[in-house]
Amino acid sequence: MRDAYSKFQAAGIRLYAISYDDQEVLSEFSNRQGIPYSLLSDIDSDVIREFGILNDQIEGDPLMMGIPFPGTYVTDEDGMVVAKFFHDSYKKRDSPEFLIDAALGRIDFQDEPPQASTGDEEIGLSATIRGGKGSLRQGILRQLIVRFELAEGLHIYGDPVPEGMIATSIEIAPQPGLVVLDTVEPPSRPLHLKEMDIELQVWSGTVDFVIPFYPTGEMASETRPLDMAATSLEIKVRYQACNDETCLLPRTENFEIELPLDVIDVPALSLHMGHGQREAEYDGMPHMRRLLLRKFKRKPVSIFRFLGKTLLREIAALRRRLSA
Amino acid sequence: MAVERDEHGFDAPAPLEHPARKGLPSGHSTGPEVGDRLPDFTLPDQNGKAIRFHEDRASQKSAVVFFRSAVW
Repeated sequence: MRDAYSKFQAAGIRLYAISYDDQEVLSEFSNRQGIPYSLLSDIDSDVIREFGILNDQIEGDPLMMGIPFPGTYVTDEDGMVVAKFFHDSYKKRDSPEFLIDAALGRIDFQDEPPQASTGDEEIGLSATIRGGKGSLRQGILRQLIVRFELAEGLHIYGDPVPEGMIATSIEIAPQPGLVVLDTVEPPSRPLHLKEMDIELQVWSGTVDFVIPFYPTGEMASETRPLDMAATSLEIKVRYQACNDETCLLPRTENFEIELPLDVIDVPALSLHMGHGQREAEYDGMPHMRRLLLRKFKRKPVSIFRFLGKTLLREIAALRRRLSA
Repeated sequence: MAVERDEHGFDAPAPLEHPARKGLPSGHSTGPEVGDRLPDFTLPDQNGKAIRFHEDRASQKSAVVFFRSAVW
């Protein structure tokens, strides 16, 4: 978010981040990381509750009670929600650039030029990794955007097509620990072919296909050192372009894009020790102590239940590890 | 703390049963919907200044991020 802040500014989007943290930790976090936008302290989780996004699965853990299901709303100038981003797992998060694209209602590459491109005067084809300068980290969604720039009069096809013609298809070669989601196709336009009396779906002009993807722990764990510094995305694009009279030969283009894996800083807390990739230099314990105090002051007895449950969970995890 | 991989393939420094690892149940509300006006709120920022959301954004577009914690 911080690294993308200038893009939000350039797009005229105000950025706010809300959590149940106290002002002290937000202030330190903000200074240390150089956060230029508002970090808002919803210490009693009132706003989180009012929005209806209180994490109600936390019952029995007073320390974490009060956190939201993480997610983001994007509004227009009138404060109306134009997009929102929530996922089934808290580990899945969207790249900041997706929020900007949602606010603007279009994808603007000016900030991140394509990693690969080919083509001629009639058909331009490019592949761009959207988000995080193309680097990968566990659960963070990036997008592959395949953009066609078709000369006036040319179009490409969506599925289904009649025998002998080729529909547009984009594939990312599978690899362990890489999850590729469904392609988001832009709206197509119907084209009626009189001779065959069929209706086809076509795209013309500038056409963006968006394929979201993210690595899991197998590729980019955040709790152990990375096995590799980068991975390579192999992309295969197949299409056939036609005008109203004639069709060009089907084409297949292969792109290969190198994506670095990010090393992540984790707060230096005893509960994170020993398996982080890189422990950050700051000490998170004073904040943790304050949080513990704040939470347990309300329900002093709950600390025993909390400790008991924590111990039981650790034993269960240890048993699983021993039996594996 | 144990490190375990969950059903989504994600690693985290907490046992699988830890409530903080539970995801958003399917069908659970995710608050205001597309087309709604985002409810107004007033909260202190990192400098202790009270921010009234709709007033502060001053007729600009906005992105409002709810995150879990900066402590852990």
